[in-house]
Amino acid sequence: MTEFLINWLANAPGTAAPYAFAALGLIISERSGVLNLTAEGLMLVGAVAGLGVSLTLGGHPLIALLAAMLAASLVSLLFAGLVVILRVNQVIAGLSIVFFCQGLTGLIGTLANWQNHPIVGLSKIAIWPLSEIPFVGRILFVQDPIVYLAIPIFFGVSLFLQKSMLGLKLRAVGENPAAADAAGLNVSLYRIGAIVAGSALVGLAGGYISVVSVKLWVTGMVGGRGWIAVALVVFARWAPWPALAGALLFGCIEGVVPRIAAAGIRVPQYLMLMTPYIATIAVMMWVGARNRGYLGEPGALGQPHVREERR
Amino acid sequence: MHDVAMIVRENPSSSPAPKPSPRRGIGRFTLDIRQTISPWKQAGILVGSLAIGLIISVAILDFAGIAPLDLARELAGVFNADSLRSVLVRAAPLILVGLGAGLAFRIGFWNLGLEGQMIFGGIAATAVSIYAIGPESTRLIIMGLAASLGGMFWVMLAYWMKERFRVNEIISTLLMNYIASYFLLHLLYGVWQDSKTAFPQSSQYQPFERLSDIGYGINGALLVALAAAAVAAWGVHLSRAGFYMRFISANPNMAKVVGVPARAISVAVIAISGVAAGLAGFVNVASQEGRLTQSFFDGYVFSGVLIAFLSRNDPIVVVIVGFLLAVLFVTGQTLQVFYQIPFTMVQLIEAIIVIAVASSEFLIRHRIRWTR
Amino acid sequence: MALALELTGIRKTFDGVVALDGAGFSAKPGEVHALLGENGAGKSSLMNIAAGFYVPDAGTVGVNGETVALSGPADARSRGIGMVHQHFKLVKPFTVAENILLANPRPAYRSGIQDIRDNVRKQAAQLGFDIDPERRVGDLSVAEQQQVEIIKVLIGGTRILILDEPTAVLTDAEAERLLEIVRRLARSGVAVVLVTHKLHEVKRHADAVTIMRSGRTVATPDPRVASTAELTELTVGQTAPLPSRAERRRGATRLNVGALRCARSDGQVMVANANFFVRAGEIYGLAGVSGNGQAELAEALIGARQPLSGEIWLEGPGDVAALPPAIRREAGLAAIPADRYAFALAGSLSVADNFTVATIKSGCYGPPWLIDRGAMRRDAAEAVTAYDVQGVRGVGQKAALLSGGNAQKLVIAREFSRQPTVVVAHSPSRGLDVRACAAVHERLLAARDRGAAVVLISEDLDEILALSDRIGVMTRGRIVAEFERPADRQEIGRAMVDHA
Repeated sequence: MTEFLINWLANAPGTAAPYAFAALGLIISERSGVLNLTAEGLMLVGAVAGLGVSLTLGGHPLIALLAAMLAASLVSLLFAGLVVILRVNQVIAGLSIVFFCQGLTGLIGTLANWQNHPIVGLSKIAIWPLSEIPFVGRILFVQDPIVYLAIPIFFGVSLFLQKSMLGLKLRAVGENPAAADAAGLNVSLYRIGAIVAGSALVGLAGGYISVVSVKLWVTGMVGGRGWIAVALVVFARWAPWPALAGALLFGCIEGVVPRIAAAGIRVPQYLMLMTPYIATIAVMMWVGARNRGYLGEPGALGQPHVREERR
Repeated sequence: MHDVAMIVRENPSSSPAPKPSPRRGIGRFTLDIRQTISPWKQAGILVGSLAIGLIISVAILDFAGIAPLDLARELAGVFNADSLRSVLVRAAPLILVGLGAGLAFRIGFWNLGLEGQMIFGGIAATAVSIYAIGPESTRLIIMGLAASLGGMFWVMLAYWMKERFRVNEIISTLLMNYIASYFLLHLLYGVWQDSKTAFPQSSQYQPFERLSDIGYGINGALLVALAAAAVAAWGVHLSRAGFYMRFISANPNMAKVVGVPARAISVAVIAISGVAAGLAGFVNVASQEGRLTQSFFDGYVFSGVLIAFLSRNDPIVVVIVGFLLAVLFVTGQTLQVFYQIPFTMVQLIEAIIVIAVASSEFLIRHRIRWTR
Repeated sequence: MALALELTGIRKTFDGVVALDGAGFSAKPGEVHALLGENGAGKSSLMNIAAGFYVPDAGTVGVNGETVALSGPADARSRGIGMVHQHFKLVKPFTVAENILLANPRPAYRSGIQDIRDNVRKQAAQLGFDIDPERRVGDLSVAEQQQVEIIKVLIGGTRILILDEPTAVLTDAEAERLLEIVRRLARSGVAVVLVTHKLHEVKRHADAVTIMRSGRTVATPDPRVASTAELTELTVGQTAPLPSRAERRRGATRLNVGALRCARSDGQVMVANANFFVRAGEIYGLAGVSGNGQAELAEALIGARQPLSGEIWLEGPGDVAALPPAIRREAGLAAIPADRYAFALAGSLSVADNFTVATIKSGCYGPPWLIDRGAMRRDAAEAVTAYDVQGVRGVGQKAALLSGGNAQKLVIAREFSRQPTVVVAHSPSRGLDVRACAAVHERLLAARDRGAAVVLISEDLDEILALSDRIGVMTRGRIVAEFERPADRQEIGRAMVDHA
């Protein structure tokens, strides 16, 4: 039983990492007031780019992950152009980008023949001697480098948002763009910057799935995780640390299913696969029931900014 | 210490309408919000953006190995009798999801759960077939009714979650698509699996449980779709409820205050949206495969969004756009077979078209001026 | 002495509508210069240009004798021009210090916030404001938020301070205090521009006045010498006659509000315990400075907001507080909300649609399955003529194209198309010019004369005093005093303040 528990919890951070990074990336862009539904698509872009670079270079997982971040940021420029410059409805733009990415990555993956080619990827590293601590050691101190990196990244973003001039300005743009405008900030530039920066993290999430977790590429392998990340942002009330907590929760939930099956307990396979999605909806229902009023979203979320637009 | 007469009024915070304020856009030009635009100009911009989207798509196809001339040939080839028949069959479920999406979007409910509703529609219809409910003569009708209820059930679940728990329907309906597809797999690999094959599909429908050609190459599925479109068109353009709907989407607060039965109409419209999607699932399985399969619903969410968006949620235009999209799909299938282009190419083209048209809205809403 | 601010020959059009037509303005350092004009005259637009928010189509802006081309509000502030708008540019979830830091950036957050905190305390003390830099702006009262706005621009080194209708959101007493502080500021060398429509402010506090009308500057009389009547004539062209009122006939109670309690969207309770009643054939005016629950009360009465508890009793259906608004409409309630495009009109739909939506239920435009568009257009066209709604090229045009006054006339045309028994009017003449305003008042009085019970909720004490048969004073979510016509303005003012 302990073995089961240790195995399960030790794998949770790895399963949680994509959710965490994607949610964090979305938080950055949404704090600037842009409703960002592109996670599912950008994660696919990150996944295919990361794996493709790894296959082409014959290894180099870290470079592959950087490529994933770059690719996602590049595609996010299209989204940024649509919603910030052209003021396209942010829901339609987000959905279109997701579908665009689904088509594009499927096409590239097939044409470049990257499907189903496994790579070595990134493996776990044990931090000795902490990893020798019974029970906790294997859970906390035997993880891949990206999971370890998550902590400083979350610290960095959290500090940035709350305790830096740039973060203050970004939050102002998201809460009240008219006030930010009056203070001399270029609202459009901040939003574009937030989208691109946030999308780098979303790309990392996608790259993580293909390069570190599964170590190959299959069309559509993100499988809805992007949408769960979008829900996580609401659950976390647009704050980094609760998002990490939520991601870990989901990592645990998602990890339970295959482990139960592997343990030999017979469960209806497909009904079990539903659990992450049902769990997400359940969490959203709980959040909604708890906060009768304001959900904590940035004041201007989803509204395009034209200086003093009337009707 | 007061004024002699009611002289001057306060400066308003929301001042007279034709006074939007422009300011810097990017660089040295300014953005004005247009007050009026002639319908001709609007149509012109729309058609222009559509053309640009198509040109980009043709360029990508060229890059992927299909010369534009070959493409034109394939496209023309679609209009022979055989291909036309499959276009019409493909069009039926597309029109229905387009209606479903368009009606819901009209009142501001982002029903993106079209695939999940199609699945439950298909499941309900298949259940009728498997459990042989009803006499043979009316079996099809009962299947249609069941499919309607199935789709309606799945969307109303999302509506309830929104009303009661403020769950954003964009996320809930999308996630419910995944839940529905897993449930489908559970059935198809489980109790409903056709014992004759090892594939995840149900047993074949009986002949009287299928939608087949009525004559002139027109499939019963298309009739269902066109009937639904007619009903939707009447509802939206001619009925009092349709009149009220315009207020619900234009200004829901005002609609409530002015006495529009917003809640009742919203519930009805969303339910009908689910019915349409459920029927889409039904006509799809009943007219094409003739059995429940694991991926009959693939890609219909975005297709529905595309159709609704391009037709501005108007049921009559939905029929036209649905037909055109079916042409695109059938052409795509031919490309897949003869040129080894993966079907994800069609997804890409759909997205490019929506992005191109969405971008053009900017020109419709704003006027750009250059300043010194 | 060089002029602190000089605007000459300013022209500005918004998508074909001329807002400013060769307007000019100049202010000297050390003086309080009022910019007086009725609504739509262009005062705010002109000042927005001075403060860098708009770019003029033609004309020049001069600061301290030197012509400048402002690239934005930050540029204007760096030259010493600071503007406090009617709608504050504050980020509610941030603290006072963060808001001020945002507008006056420092290189680093930690040291910057400390610096700002100290600065705020100093400035506030100097001005006589009581502002704690660590409080969240959203928790402050409207008057305190305004103080934050003023401190914000002063810390930035403003030497030309523009205040846009600053006393609109203040009680008489608070307004007095503010204007005295403003005068002191002027004496210290700051050039203060006071955009206002209130003549008494001009007479009492201004050293100079520029009068605007229809986008042009018409006169710059000396406020200490010119008489009120002269100033009035220059501002409007001719005095508008007071509306006549019939002898009041008291009728039965039509509306009774009991122990009503309402909250704002963010949960804060704005109406604590409202109690009042209105009889047929009388106008009950609810006076009070905005922010004391009037908006929420108005929304509750018209059905746009669900009250937390209490009753709204209408003759006929009884207590409708928990019932859908449709029932109130059937009972004859007419709603004229403050923000037309929020609750009264759908801008993107046509004039005809907006007019007929209230009555279509009765079946006069066809059965539910087939509406009669022709009849709708005809009726709408008739109403447009009858109520003198200008700017309507065709009843099919979008309602958003109507100017404020005409939009309001359209709303009234619709609401009065069936004889209402109860009228709820919230700031009905906000944003209207003299003529439109007079028209609105006429209609309200006519409704009253025909026997309707009219509730008039307005922040404009003059409007209340002119129209009401009875006056209630609303402060902090309660009706704290009631007066019969003719009412004493001083007593009303005291009632507003004493309970604050």
